[in-house]
Amino acid sequence: MAEMEILIQQCVNALSLGGTYALLALGLAVVFSVLGMINFAHGEILTIAGYTVFFAIVGNVPPILIVPLALLVAMATAALMERIAFRPLRGANGTTLLITSFAVSGILQMLFQNLISTRPRPVPISASLTGAFNVGPFHIGVIQSLSIFATFAMVGLLTLFLKRTMLGIAIRAAAVDFPTTRLMGLRANRVILAAFAISGLLAGVSGLLWIAQRGSVDPLMGFLPVLKAFIAAILGGIGNLTGAVIGGFFLGAIEIGLQAVLPESVQPFRDAIALSLVVLVLLYRPQGLFGAAHSVRP
Amino acid sequence: MKRVPVHILAAGLAGLIGLSSIPALADDLVVGAAISLTGGLAYADVPAQKGMQLAIDEINAAGGIGGKYKIELKLKDSRSDPAQTSVAAQELIDDGAAVLVTPCDADPSIGAGQMAQAAGVAAFSTCASSPSLPLAVGDHMFTNFPGDNVQTTVSAKYAIDSGYKNAYLLMSPDTSYTMLPNYFKTVFEKLGGKVVGEDNYSMGQQDFSAQVTKIKSLSPAADVIMTGAYEPDFPAFIKQLRAAGITAPVIGSDGIDSPTTFALGDVAEGVVFSTAGFAAPGNPLDAFNKKYKAATGSDPDTIYIAIGYDLVKVLEAAVLKADSVDRDKVWAAVRELENVQGATSTITYKGTDGVPLRQVALVKVVKGNRELVLQEAPDPALVPAPKL
Amino acid sequence: MPLLEVESLAVNYGPIKAVLNVGLTVESGEIVTVLGANGAGKSTSLQAIVGLLPIQQGRVRFDGHDITGESTERIVRRGLTLTPEGRRIFAPLTVEENLRIGAATQGKGGDIAALWDQMMELFPILASRRKQLAGTLSGGEQQQLAIARSLMSKPKLLLLDEPSLGLAPIVVELIFDLIKRLRGLGITILVVEQNVHQALDIADRGYVVSGGSVVLSGTAAELKTSPDVQKAYMGHG
Ligand SMILES: Nc1ncnc2c1ncn2[C@@H]1O[C@H](COP(=O)(O)OP(=O)(O)OP(=O)(O)O)[C@@H](O)[C@H]1O
Ligand SMILES: [Mg+2]
Repeated sequence: MAEMEILIQQCVNALSLGGTYALLALGLAVVFSVLGMINFAHGEILTIAGYTVFFAIVGNVPPILIVPLALLVAMATAALMERIAFRPLRGANGTTLLITSFAVSGILQMLFQNLISTRPRPVPISASLTGAFNVGPFHIGVIQSLSIFATFAMVGLLTLFLKRTMLGIAIRAAAVDFPTTRLMGLRANRVILAAFAISGLLAGVSGLLWIAQRGSVDPLMGFLPVLKAFIAAILGGIGNLTGAVIGGFFLGAIEIGLQAVLPESVQPFRDAIALSLVVLVLLYRPQGLFGAAHSVRP
Repeated sequence: MKRVPVHILAAGLAGLIGLSSIPALADDLVVGAAISLTGGLAYADVPAQKGMQLAIDEINAAGGIGGKYKIELKLKDSRSDPAQTSVAAQELIDDGAAVLVTPCDADPSIGAGQMAQAAGVAAFSTCASSPSLPLAVGDHMFTNFPGDNVQTTVSAKYAIDSGYKNAYLLMSPDTSYTMLPNYFKTVFEKLGGKVVGEDNYSMGQQDFSAQVTKIKSLSPAADVIMTGAYEPDFPAFIKQLRAAGITAPVIGSDGIDSPTTFALGDVAEGVVFSTAGFAAPGNPLDAFNKKYKAATGSDPDTIYIAIGYDLVKVLEAAVLKADSVDRDKVWAAVRELENVQGATSTITYKGTDGVPLRQVALVKVVKGNRELVLQEAPDPALVPAPKL
Repeated sequence: MPLLEVESLAVNYGPIKAVLNVGLTVESGEIVTVLGANGAGKSTSLQAIVGLLPIQQGRVRFDGHDITGESTERIVRRGLTLTPEGRRIFAPLTVEENLRIGAATQGKGGDIAALWDQMMELFPILASRRKQLAGTLSGGEQQQLAIARSLMSKPKLLLLDEPSLGLAPIVVELIFDLIKRLRGLGITILVVEQNVHQALDIADRGYVVSGGSVVLSGTAAELKTSPDVQKAYMGHG
């Protein structure tokens, strides 16, 4: 391959990986923007989406229903998390909520291990998803293009929802000033629940893409995605939705870029270098690339 | 009725000499397992424990080892955490374990192994394959799985015999296991092959597009790809590799001996990997699988179950040889064991540094099923020395 | 029966007792003003009335219902709302979005269009700035937006917390005119103000809060001539 082609191919790679990170970060950011909490149990929503696919395949659910089902379960999981774990702590400070979300994450992982299996469960993905197509000299994987497409579709849909619907506007308003949002007669519980459901949907989509790539679902698989999401969200400016998306793409670009240019001998330090770059960005822009959302919280 | 007085005597003795815990019956083999029932290593330790349990039940039901010594398994969850493993190991040793079982990874096994070493207790990792583990601990540490260097010797020789000349290696510095392509490299180059490219990845990274793009641009092109990657990295890697139109054969290791690999469909077709055993009709592994199914109602979904069974068979052989459950005698007997018939292979510790001589099976994925390529113990002269 | 009746209200911020004993009533159709020095507890009282702060003691009755301890969203749906001190518009949202969310209680239906037209008539300046981000409006425009946003919920009683805060005299004038017009539209007003003169000019009655308690009340005329009020807030003798 010519140099130029490699460069373009790596850009596509960065776009695809960054897109996955963007979706993950967006899921964290939606909840953070409203509640001021990082939900570390976000990763387990991905896992649950994965198990849904696994059990749906085992249970012979028609393929066409599997994706909607997984997304629905992901949304319901997020909503239940809010209802059961976080609502009783409404108004507690961010640290308390953060620790609670760690606990939720740990409990779910334990349940997966004890009730399902400690072993990864295979999720056979249809062959049509594992193929590739050519655009000029470029090979573009179906999953890769799917994640780029899904990212843009989800960001587009979310933007429409946030701009056009009352609930969407309410979520944006709540992100700025929660008490005043209640003064509009909007039910706090509904707004928060909606934010969780959206984050669940985003986690579900990320989870499906993640599963399509890894071909199995594992009780502990949620940890890494949530970590990447966290880094991307911080990078973009925590709680800032646009920032989360840009942060995701930025992180994807850093990772692919380093993978592509670092000499072999330095490759083992790639993650350390990537994180150092993130720290460097934060040193110059402590609020992230786009500034953290400042808000008055419930 | 012979046991009760012994028990009381033992308890009284313990009180006299100031031990805080009560040793088990003098004629039971107390096996202390500080293994990971939860956390990142549970995927291997839980199945290994099932295999161990099956063997123990079987032996105890038949009246114990040699009709004399029952096996008592004391289990403590080490939670996939090295510190927790050491704590659990020490508690089990204090609790009278004559043999210690440690997790399926070198890191927690080193700490726990050192406790066993100090106490003079033989320690076995359930399924760690790092050949350097016994070196790092001492003469009381044993592994129970074909070592990384042994597996890759077999697969590198197979690669050369298949006519492959230019290899690409994908490894991760995150664990010593995922660095095993380095052993492959040593053997492959020794036999005249050339490594044309190698890359690192981070475990769990999911995205291999950058590596795949690099493989595509290799010149000369790689005619074989070798990796120690396993779930979730291996499926992600091979999907992206095949999606990029790269058709070079891929060789993996026992980490991908998992149902996921066989559920991958077309992308995994033709993948060859080394593992501990292969169930051919009528062979010991086949018999074990049937026995397991009869006992539990389900087919074993991983080789680690049989490997756990092997471990107990080794202990059985050692106790028989020693005709004792004394920790020192059992340990000394382990070092003299030869050709113990396990479920996966015959197992020899005599003359080794604690890494058993075992056969390695090379398995090919064909239409979602396993096909045996070959099964052999490698030429010891070819096996690279363990790298610390 | 008064539209709003607040009985010996007490509100704490943790250990800080911000409001000790506030009692007041507002009759339907009235403009009532609440005066008091900085930190007297005026805003705290209003926030407690609309349920944004927990009430320590006392009762609040609105429109024949005891609303003590009810959630803000429920109180707003009953027809009682607050335009908070410092406007608290949603800066990253457009003017239109701010107003739309103000009508969250109205459900779907033709009413919203009519409300919208009414706002454009009351606040012509907003009509030309529908798509502008609220945070980029001038202070006076933001205050108008904040009031318009409150009106979108069709309140029976509107609590205004210092609507003239930080505005140029000419804009202050405009706001007070507006308050009078709102009464004409059938909206009852309780307004907290520092502009004592103008507040008493438009109000029917007033209360003076000091140190967390109501210390004085009377008709606007009475308060205007009260030596205490004059001395404390009007810069006279
Ligand atoms: N969030 C809070 N936490 C603690 N104390 C508070 C808080 N908000 C207000 N206070 C205190 O409560 C008292 C009353 O404050 P409040 O805002 O009600 O006064 P105000 O009469 O509205 O004053 P201003 O005219 O300056 O707006 C003050 O002493 C203030 O410091
Ligand atoms: Mg105030």
